[in-house]
Amino acid sequence: MAKVDVFSDEWCKTWEEKVRASKVFAEYNKGWQGDIGCVMHKDPAANILEDQYLYLDFEDGVVNGIRMVDKETAENAKFVISGPYVRWKQVANKELDAVKAMMQGKLKLKGNLPYVVKYLKGVQEAIRCLTEVASRFPDD
Amino acid sequence: MFGSSKKILEIDLDSEEVRTRVLKADLYRTFVGGSSFAARLFVDYRGCESKPLQPESPLFVMAGPMVGTNFPGTSRFVVCARSPLTGIWGESASGGTFGADLKKAGFDGMVVSGKSRKPCYILIDDTVVSVVDAAALWGLDTYQTIDALKIQHKGNRPVRVMTIGPAGEKLVKFASICNDKAHYFGRTGMGAVMGSKNLKAVVVRGTGKVSIADEDAYQAARNVTLANIKETMIAASFHDLGTAAAMDMGMLTGDVPIKNWTIGEDYEMAAALGGPAIHEKILKGRIACFACPIGCKPVVEVNHGRYAVAKGPGPEYETCAAFGTMILNDNLKAVAHINELCNRLGLDTITCGSTIAFMMECYEKGLLNRNDLDGLELTWGNLAAVVAMVKKIAWREGFGERAAEGSQALAAYIGGAAAESVVTVKKLELPMHDPRAFHGLGLAYMNSNRGACHLQHSVQAVEQGMVSWPEIGFEDDYPATVSNGKAKMVCICEEIGQMANAVCVCHFVHWAMGFTHLLSGFNAITGYGFDVQMFLECGRRAWVLKRALNNIMGVRVEDDRLPPRVLTAVSEGGAAGSVPDQDLMRKQYYQIRGLDERGFPTPQLLKFSDLEFLQKPLASV
Repeated sequence: MAKVDVFSDEWCKTWEEKVRASKVFAEYNKGWQGDIGCVMHKDPAANILEDQYLYLDFEDGVVNGIRMVDKETAENAKFVISGPYVRWKQVANKELDAVKAMMQGKLKLKGNLPYVVKYLKGVQEAIRCLTEVASRFPDD
Repeated sequence: MFGSSKKILEIDLDSEEVRTRVLKADLYRTFVGGSSFAARLFVDYRGCESKPLQPESPLFVMAGPMVGTNFPGTSRFVVCARSPLTGIWGESASGGTFGADLKKAGFDGMVVSGKSRKPCYILIDDTVVSVVDAAALWGLDTYQTIDALKIQHKGNRPVRVMTIGPAGEKLVKFASICNDKAHYFGRTGMGAVMGSKNLKAVVVRGTGKVSIADEDAYQAARNVTLANIKETMIAASFHDLGTAAAMDMGMLTGDVPIKNWTIGEDYEMAAALGGPAIHEKILKGRIACFACPIGCKPVVEVNHGRYAVAKGPGPEYETCAAFGTMILNDNLKAVAHINELCNRLGLDTITCGSTIAFMMECYEKGLLNRNDLDGLELTWGNLAAVVAMVKKIAWREGFGERAAEGSQALAAYIGGAAAESVVTVKKLELPMHDPRAFHGLGLAYMNSNRGACHLQHSVQAVEQGMVSWPEIGFEDDYPATVSNGKAKMVCICEEIGQMANAVCVCHFVHWAMGFTHLLSGFNAITGYGFDVQMFLECGRRAWVLKRALNNIMGVRVEDDRLPPRVLTAVSEGGAAGSVPDQDLMRKQYYQIRGLDERGFPTPQLLKFSDLEFLQKPLASV
């Protein structure tokens, strides 16, 4: 499978398609309301020179879109997950469980925690779809 | 000696004599405090020589060196004795404010021996200590007793009360001790030990100050620790959702026991009983223990209906599982109601719920019938029958007399195939975390000195990925359903857990603050200057000491085993198909820990742990 550059439109689109194709995402996210901003902190050593902002637009089991956005849009989302680039890379490469990463403080979650816990299966499914994307990282 | 008054109370209820014993600094430093120090005193008071519930069997209430300061999470204190449920070392920990007041009254703990001729309570009003008649309190439930004693001893500062309910008075083997209504010594039947001494309650008011070795270092460590805790999702999770978040998160991994450990997954039940459900349906607030920046304890209220609950302490995760998923009950209000019932009667909700789940399975299999159960139809989820049985157990009425002995003794009474449905280690019912989902946890259950326990160590927090401590040599990730190679991690986690129960810090706050911050605070308070290795050595010493005591009281290699039920795979959920390899793990563990083929500490291990004085008693068993 050809690899796709992370943070590119194509990469976002590929992830989005994986989520759309999931047999269980819609079921697990039924009732979910709220957008998710993801902030990946810059890491010059890994050739990530600027912070990266990703936006997951999910609503009641429907995938409205996954796209790169500006800082303001990501940080004003209802839920914001932020952390070092290297942690996001580990999550995407299936080397780090996102829920564990948040528990250990490797990634930080801002938003209504009880609400997120209620939809943990849905969150995990979206991330599982990400791990199915053949991602090419700048420091690979 | 800092962090300590160097004194413990010795109270002989036969004579009502109260003495003060001055501690040797080196002994206290070596055994640190809490349950570790209580285990050391257990040797002096010849605890192994008395049967459980005999008057001479000593009962220890111990705080730790950090208790009474306002370092985060250091509210805990322990009650220890030979357990009537398991027959071996028993200990239970609780939070609240009692421990801090005991320290502020000028005592690191107390040892109670003998049996009062009539019901009594112990009053500690700073340094004035007396044994007081409790005839008027006997028979009251825990909430009533606490209310009465708080009114009776009203002063400028409130008193703190730990008390037993009717279950403790009736010597129910899994009777709990209630501590200011919201906090409990649940496990191993310490409430029955109080009852056996005709000791209804202990009341304390302390107004002094706990000495700190280095105030500047203490303040710096405290500030950094507080800031660190507030940043963590552990703190956010416990604060926002309470321990019941473990229901929702645990269902993902197969951690939650369902229908007496026979089903691996039920998301609808988790949604009905977990943290978000409590938050949305019955939560009215939160209670925080002394010096706790998290505040995880739910305050709930159910206004009307069959399961009405007055505004007060709500169910923790263990209760939501034991009286929820374990008995196929998805009615959260009923769980809250039964929780309050157990609180008031003074029953450990884990053993009580597990015993009832076991009885339900026996009923389903025809091993028990309606006649046996005083007319109760103990079918899965029959809540009216559950409520009735809980009361029968507490008062030892009808079949409750049998069930009050715990599930293992009950299985022996029922006989036949009943033993297959018992889920205990060393006669203690498993807490509500499935070792099929976390194999290292299974190993820790096998070796836990009080029987199956998730709070004598930090194994599950590590396997779950809730904590990661590379600074003490842990790997980044321990695959949960792998048995091979877990032994070393489990040993270290046991040592950490022993120290948490020695310094008397809350495990949850400890996980949030991290290991090094705890050590910084400990050193600032005590002035001991321990490095990581010295700290863990004290933890190892505590584990080996309790193990040796248990060996003397009859524990052997064959007792280090998991029950057959959790060695049978479930077919669904996060742990489907997974079974711990207990033989492999035991073998690897014994080698690393230093136990011989009988399960005894080797002479080398005793020497290495400064416990050579146990060589002779161990050799004679």
